[in-house]
Amino acid sequence: MAHLLLTPGPAALAQHMIRMRLAIMRNSLRGENAANLYTGISLGVLLAFGTIAVAVLWPAYLPLTLAAWFSGWIFGPILFGGGSETLRPEYFSMLPATPGRIAAALLAGAFAGPAPAVNLIALLSLPVYGWRFGPAGVLIGLGAAVTTLITMVMISRVIVALIGLFVRSRATASAVGIAIGTAIALCSNGWAPFVALGGTDTAAWSQVLVRALPSGWGVAAIEAPWPLTLAILLAGAGVIALLLAAWAVLLSRRVVSAARGGMPTRRGAPRPFPAAGGARITAAKELRAWWRDLVRIQLLALAFSYAIVTPLLLVTIDSWIMVPFMGLIAIVMAAASSANLYGADGTALWLTLVTPGAERADVRGRQLAWLLVVGPVAVVLSLAGTLVSGQAWAWPWVLGLLPALLGGGAGIIVLLAVTSLVPGTDPHKRGGNPLSTGADETAETSLAWLVLVAVPAIALPAAGAILLNPWAGIVTGVLTGVLSAWGLGKIAYRRLESHGIDLLNLMKHGPAPQADKPTTTDLPIQHRIGVTISYLIAWLPLFPQGLAPMVMKIVGIEDRGWFLALHLPPIWQWPTIIFMIALGLLMYGYAILIPMRLSSSSSATTS
Amino acid sequence: MPESTIPLSGRMIRHPLPPRDSQGMPTPREPALRTTGLRKAFGDHLAVDDIHLTVPAGSFYGLVGPNGAGKTTTLAMAVGLLRPDAGSAEIFGVDVWRDTVQAKGLIGVLPDGNAMPERLTGREVLTYLGLLRGLQPAVVAERTDELLQILELDSAERTLVIEYSTGMRKKIGLAVALLHAPRLLVLDEPFEAVDPVSAATIRTILRRFAANGGSVIISSHVMALVEQVCDHVGVISDGHVVAAGPLADVRGAGTLEDAFVDLVGARAGGTEGLAWLTSS
Repeated sequence: MAHLLLTPGPAALAQHMIRMRLAIMRNSLRGENAANLYTGISLGVLLAFGTIAVAVLWPAYLPLTLAAWFSGWIFGPILFGGGSETLRPEYFSMLPATPGRIAAALLAGAFAGPAPAVNLIALLSLPVYGWRFGPAGVLIGLGAAVTTLITMVMISRVIVALIGLFVRSRATASAVGIAIGTAIALCSNGWAPFVALGGTDTAAWSQVLVRALPSGWGVAAIEAPWPLTLAILLAGAGVIALLLAAWAVLLSRRVVSAARGGMPTRRGAPRPFPAAGGARITAAKELRAWWRDLVRIQLLALAFSYAIVTPLLLVTIDSWIMVPFMGLIAIVMAAASSANLYGADGTALWLTLVTPGAERADVRGRQLAWLLVVGPVAVVLSLAGTLVSGQAWAWPWVLGLLPALLGGGAGIIVLLAVTSLVPGTDPHKRGGNPLSTGADETAETSLAWLVLVAVPAIALPAAGAILLNPWAGIVTGVLTGVLSAWGLGKIAYRRLESHGIDLLNLMKHGPAPQADKPTTTDLPIQHRIGVTISYLIAWLPLFPQGLAPMVMKIVGIEDRGWFLALHLPPIWQWPTIIFMIALGLLMYGYAILIPMRLSSSSSATTS
Repeated sequence: MPESTIPLSGRMIRHPLPPRDSQGMPTPREPALRTTGLRKAFGDHLAVDDIHLTVPAGSFYGLVGPNGAGKTTTLAMAVGLLRPDAGSAEIFGVDVWRDTVQAKGLIGVLPDGNAMPERLTGREVLTYLGLLRGLQPAVVAERTDELLQILELDSAERTLVIEYSTGMRKKIGLAVALLHAPRLLVLDEPFEAVDPVSAATIRTILRRFAANGGSVIISSHVMALVEQVCDHVGVISDGHVVAAGPLADVRGAGTLEDAFVDLVGARAGGTEGLAWLTSS
């Protein structure tokens, strides 16, 4: 006789989820993945202990620091795809159990990973902070650490679920992009409005704000009188229950929602293609892809909003120095977010490969489309920014660097797209998150960083020429731009002609195992961490703290902005600038040379 | 390309140029496809090992084999989408790896499971690829109309390819392969996930193509279908060709399915165990 099977109880179900999650993690811990994970964990633990140090040394900044962790939980999954959806709700849609029970079990599975564990270490800063308020403070801090962790993870999950369900139009995709762009801008220049509004004065509203965020409830509970403390902790528990209920509803809706991600809603009859051939027809195809792909729309919105918000934040302290450069920032950011053009299209590359001689048209068409999408916005932002800010000295810089960066961007993105492709999931096979391409986020991020360094580097000759003579600078800028777009594009399509098949099979089957070719994975772990950290922060001393104040001193701009060197007594300014540039170059040199040395030494031993 | 020349007895043999007719096109006497010693390993797994196949011009060739036998890998290497570790492939005498551009002009390909320009509609895909191949805009428009209509994709004018069902994806893939009127069609599992009515349409189109002098290679593991449409068959198992030739020779007295089971040494399972699988 057929048995009516009962699903295991909540505790057993949760246990199974945790086991499954750990098993998946264990099986994916090979090579590059494992090394990335260990690097990530080491970085996270470092930051976590840093947070505890903040609680001891600079307690006034603890709520702000915790807010940074919180923003990581919110923006991490949006920036980095599916938010580590190792256990997808779709896997369990046929289990005979209520959505609430499955949500609770999935939540348990979500905690069985390194990120929550690292975050818990950071949240131990709460009992440390509570110690100032006596034993009760420590106790409250411990309780608050646990509830805060659960709340952060839950909010992160709910946001991922919301995006998966509701980002179905250009408007919502742009909104997400603008939110992320603004958040990144706040990370780099957020101190400006903070300073403008009252700094570390505890009475200022900024202090209230960081305590009102879910990340600050623990601090608020520790500081509050008893009855209020209890109320805050209870409210925290209530919020967790509400979030769980909301998540359960969202999950069950997501599982039965048929919509396939990444596409805007219906439109009218499409405009006919132009009767052209070659690069123009590919550009027409690319323009349609830009307009119809929510991932691309979101990344563009991110790039443009970052470029607009970052300079405007400085305006709050009456510094207009960056406003003329909005367009230039937009170009660099847009290039960084388009560096994986071929990876984003997936195996559709086969069509280019079976069409005789289509590689050239494909590369040139993509360049043309990118210029048409980014160029007009960059030009308008540059002209408007320079006019409105009234910074007349900026004209030669804007006019000289604009063509250099545009051409450089158009060249670099296609070159990197064919040389450093990061394989993703084919568009029609992607999962619940419409803003995720399924590509390896770490690799995609490092590709973006590469663009952020390479595109400005192309404009260096133009910058040098502007220092000598503004007109020569503009001519150099136009020449550099045209040459880069033409030359790098040519290298790119030659490369596509000779290695297109390898790219296709990289996307189809993943990277081929190459025993004799060591990667950064083989670096000793301390070097690997060092290399990662260097890549992440070397730009800081080199560009904003080194080259930028150098240019300003040479040009004679009085605005000191956030450039450390310019705040020092004059005698220390040049040494500081040189030190910063040297430090940045040293870090880049270390990050680039150490892996190269390893590969040459090991290839010498294997051959 | 070093892959296309095979070292024989210590020196490199260069293949003679294929014979041409007065227009410079290869003569039809050359086989539509000839592979020589194709080999491909993925890591430790040898997917295809020394495959020799000859597909006569004008034939309707069925490549059959169990799952994982190496059919898709062989076809991908034959059309220039996967670089072989060794061996060569010729289309009408044109070496795929040496005269890549000329070879590409002769074939229409439907690979299995690859992406398309997903954010175009079916009509846009065909228009784009036709113009990219250098066809005249008027020709592209006319062929696109006919293909969409005959494959019944014209009702989905506003649907992007990413929203297509599996069967619709096959059909638009087939349209792409036919668009430039190639001399050889190489179709990987063209009937998989296609409804019976559309399958009949596709069969008719392919038969007409073959009757008008075109050559067709399809891969499949549906024996009845191969038996019905193909005149030549090649059987691949474990990366080797175990039988090849005219259909009648390969299947002998019985059905193709019997011959296939004999050839690949397979044994239909499913009779042991599963005693608990009962609803009584």
